[in-house]
Amino acid sequence: MEKVHSPIGGETLKHEAIAPRLDRLDGKTIGESWNGDFKGDYTFPTIRRLLKERFPGVKVVPYTEFPYIYGADNPTAQKELAKQIAARARELGCDALISGNGA
Amino acid sequence: MRPAAEAEKIGIPSVVIANSGFATLGRITGKASGVDDLRIAEYPGALGIDNQGKIEENIEKFLFNNIVNGLTRPTAGGKAAGVESRWNPREIVFAGTPEQVNGFFYRQDWTDGLPIIAPTTQRVEEFLRYVNCSPDKEIAVLPPAIRKAVPWNIAVNAVMAGCEPFHMPIIMAATRALGDQRYNLNNMGSTSGLLPYLLINGPIVKQLGIEYGAQLISRGPNPVLGRAVGLIMKNIAGFSSGKNYMGTFGYPLVFTLAEDEQESPWEGFHVEHGFEMKTSTVTLGVTNNWGPAPSPTSTSDKDGAQVILEVLCKELAKKVRLYHFPGTGPHSEKAMITILLSASMAKSLADSGYSKQAVKQYLHENARLSLHEFEWITRYTTAKERSSVRDKAKAGVFPAEYLGAPDDMVRLLSGPDIVHIIVCGDPNRNRIMSLEGGHADPTIKPIELPENWEELIKDVKAVE
Repeated sequence: MEKVHSPIGGETLKHEAIAPRLDRLDGKTIGESWNGDFKGDYTFPTIRRLLKERFPGVKVVPYTEFPYIYGADNPTAQKELAKQIAARARELGCDALISGNGA
Repeated sequence: MRPAAEAEKIGIPSVVIANSGFATLGRITGKASGVDDLRIAEYPGALGIDNQGKIEENIEKFLFNNIVNGLTRPTAGGKAAGVESRWNPREIVFAGTPEQVNGFFYRQDWTDGLPIIAPTTQRVEEFLRYVNCSPDKEIAVLPPAIRKAVPWNIAVNAVMAGCEPFHMPIIMAATRALGDQRYNLNNMGSTSGLLPYLLINGPIVKQLGIEYGAQLISRGPNPVLGRAVGLIMKNIAGFSSGKNYMGTFGYPLVFTLAEDEQESPWEGFHVEHGFEMKTSTVTLGVTNNWGPAPSPTSTSDKDGAQVILEVLCKELAKKVRLYHFPGTGPHSEKAMITILLSASMAKSLADSGYSKQAVKQYLHENARLSLHEFEWITRYTTAKERSSVRDKAKAGVFPAEYLGAPDDMVRLLSGPDIVHIIVCGDPNRNRIMSLEGGHADPTIKPIELPENWEELIKDVKAVE
């Protein structure tokens, strides 16, 4: 009989719960954040159109209003950019953010 | 994903759009950013290959509802904010026969699919005789799971891999390299299939019989050393195939090189990077491929050195990842090229007057591709549509020559230092190999040895 130990490590990060969801999208301001990958120039305009068609009074802030930098596979730059985007969403009065595209 | 996590932290609900199959990755990335249960809206398929009409159809039929739900529908049984979990590395998590242990570890997703050596207390403590510090000392905190690597759990993984106890200093140094921000471990899960490798230099190579000659990655202790690092990436760093280690076709095992310092006409890789020859080091590099290995052959019109250099230039112009090679500055994506030269190749170059740096300089000046061809590869083989080659040149990320005419032959490499040369392999064979990788810089760490190292390894069979 062999008694064995786990190979994983202890977590060091505290996790926060996500923000409460919106009860509706009518009349809300929704921001777009595009990382430059995977056809965002196709997906975001389509999503924008559908939001406006289906939710009266919705306002969409396009991804061109948010910071973007080339490359940025530097982890410090990635974290900083992510915070800048979130702050910009707050500055622009966004009630929600759609972020893409990943894979 | 990270912008969404940061938005959540300041109270802005978000949703992340991801290709089908990447929802788990999205949640893991969110968790690594400190947010539980990031909402992911999956696109059904692969955005990269679908045309505009198909994308619009899939958005209307599937993705849009997922987006709306992500922003409006509460999660079922919402998880409260978490705190640092209690972790007792010495806890016994299972008891059983070796076969039962293997089954249990496999079900926990703690293996690489191959049988493991059971990490019992006795085996782990034997490994810890070869470290200088407390078993609980924090050696690194590894992303994306942001978990602690301490000598204890490093040893557990090294035992599992089939390492010997005296390999522990190497695995410790490799773990420190994994945790160094320079190595950029966080981005290693790319679908391009990034594969880390180890390079070992210094006296420890011969002391421990690490292979540096013919068929080196497949012989001696080399396979288990790489395997240990792969298990640490999985179990401590948290990379798991099918979840967030997303190479489309999977991965071979992490492989291990050692330099043939005796036969090389040049300074060792570690000396080149500022270490004394008598210091043993581990370097972590990365590649997207292993092989092929062309065979440069001199002729009556070209000597060996010239052929080697020209073959290397042609090899570099065929690389899949070349669209990152020319970038410089803080907004460029990382790229590295590792050149493996057998000793006979290195000597041919050195005999013609080439130092390592001169080889790198030659490749920088002469590895070229037409701008038209470079733009074609960038446009049709990478997902990054928002920044064209010319955009990058205008922004100073690419050199000004990338604003030239389509037939201009532009230099592919950002500079000589993107190239890393290692002399290894069968010294009597005229073969070379070029390995391109991204998202990481080679990261070198000295191997720390216990004070009684010579005593501890006196019975280890050294390389003759």
